[in-house]
Amino acid sequence: MEKVRLTVYRSSGEGRGRFQEFSVPFEEGMTVLGAMRYVEQNLDTTLAVRWNCKAARCGSCAAEINERPALMCKTRVESLGMDSTITVTPMKAYPNVRDLVSDPTENFDISGRIPAFKPKKGLKKPWVFYERDVERSQEFRRCIECFLCQDTCHVVREHKSGYVGPRHVIEAAALDMHPMDALKRHVYLNREAGLGFCNITKCCQDVCPEHIRITDNAIIPEKERGADVFYDPLVYAIKRLKGENK
Amino acid sequence: MSLKKIIPPEFLEPNWRLWSFVLLIALGILALFAFPMKGYDGYIDPFYSPTVVILPLIGLFRLTCYAFRKYYHRHLFGHPPGCSVSERLNEAKRAYSGETGFFRVENLHRYFMYFSAAILPFFFYDFYLSLFWQHSLALRFGSLFMLADTLAVTIWVFSCHSVRHIIGGRLDCFSCTFASRLGGSVFKFQSRLNARHEALAWASLALIIAADLYIRALAAGLPLDFTILVL
Repeated sequence: MEKVRLTVYRSSGEGRGRFQEFSVPFEEGMTVLGAMRYVEQNLDTTLAVRWNCKAARCGSCAAEINERPALMCKTRVESLGMDSTITVTPMKAYPNVRDLVSDPTENFDISGRIPAFKPKKGLKKPWVFYERDVERSQEFRRCIECFLCQDTCHVVREHKSGYVGPRHVIEAAALDMHPMDALKRHVYLNREAGLGFCNITKCCQDVCPEHIRITDNAIIPEKERGADVFYDPLVYAIKRLKGENK
Repeated sequence: MSLKKIIPPEFLEPNWRLWSFVLLIALGILALFAFPMKGYDGYIDPFYSPTVVILPLIGLFRLTCYAFRKYYHRHLFGHPPGCSVSERLNEAKRAYSGETGFFRVENLHRYFMYFSAAILPFFFYDFYLSLFWQHSLALRFGSLFMLADTLAVTIWVFSCHSVRHIIGGRLDCFSCTFASRLGGSVFKFQSRLNARHEALAWASLALIIAADLYIRALAAGLPLDFTILVL
């Protein structure tokens, strides 16, 4: 019977972890999560691995497979090549709890700081808006909060710059682009949320399991809105002449 | 033998666009400074459309383009070198300012776009001139070449993210006024082109260099050109 070879990160949550090798019998259509569950049930019951829906809807099984952030339940074993060993590590952008479990709590704190929806003044009830007006926001609401984009983002991971990360930019953009919303979140994003640290290398868009075009549809439009406010040389010159910029 | 077998796999790696871009720029610089040529036989060289003086502005438009930023940030500066995370273990030790320091200039992309868009009609005018080179309408192969390069550049400029912002991206409501309804429809169409912006950026640059080389080949006496239609 064909075997799947796995190298899995093991750690108690403190200090450096180690890698442990497993060999799992291959079944057709097997996913990396399937292999991990086999390990959990048959080979080493102490393995900590987080999963829930097994259908790429909940985002619980986010990990780094062969160093690339991906959902374990959405990655077929065959797609990685049967000849090589599959390396499974937890998301390294967050504190490790145990084995493959990371603690992404900081994301919920960042999320809480994003200015909430604030309706425009004087709107007649019931609110009427059309599908075409909320299509852009709807794309960002597909987000399952697996935080793979945050994990792959080199700014979030390696540079403590204060950038909130792609997940939170789409959250703010979904509200910013809503026709009933009154706030200008691009000012918040560019001034306080560190959007300027993003250098458009599109890794977040590449790893998104929901295929949300994070960079093209949220980050760049918000940067362009910010350019209107902060980088328009004409507006700057006029403000300077009037003495408003001093 | 399939094309994939002929091309070495190294050239198909993610950085092939950066290197082809560098090659195209080197070709362009060589063509401009070592062997300047304004045109030949009614074909005006794309570098001289309208004049070589404005080239730095076009260059800045390309350099600040959202499609090209990815290549030099990834492959020249290595921020990050790739999306796989183990490749960049030492990145945390290196200084990084993103677009908050020097690269803040990327935000001027829109203004370079205005300059570039203003130049586009000249490309069409040059195509028109090439048709009426000998006082009668004659369609030559070179004219088709010029039309292809003109259309590629036009579509690339139109698919720009800054254009996307101006025509509809800045709006929150697409059905509130007549202007926003119109903007919303154009935005939707433009978004489809915008998804191909990287490929268009490369194709338009490659076609400009190709048109330039074609005209140079004619000037060198190669019998490549032929007339398709005379009216």
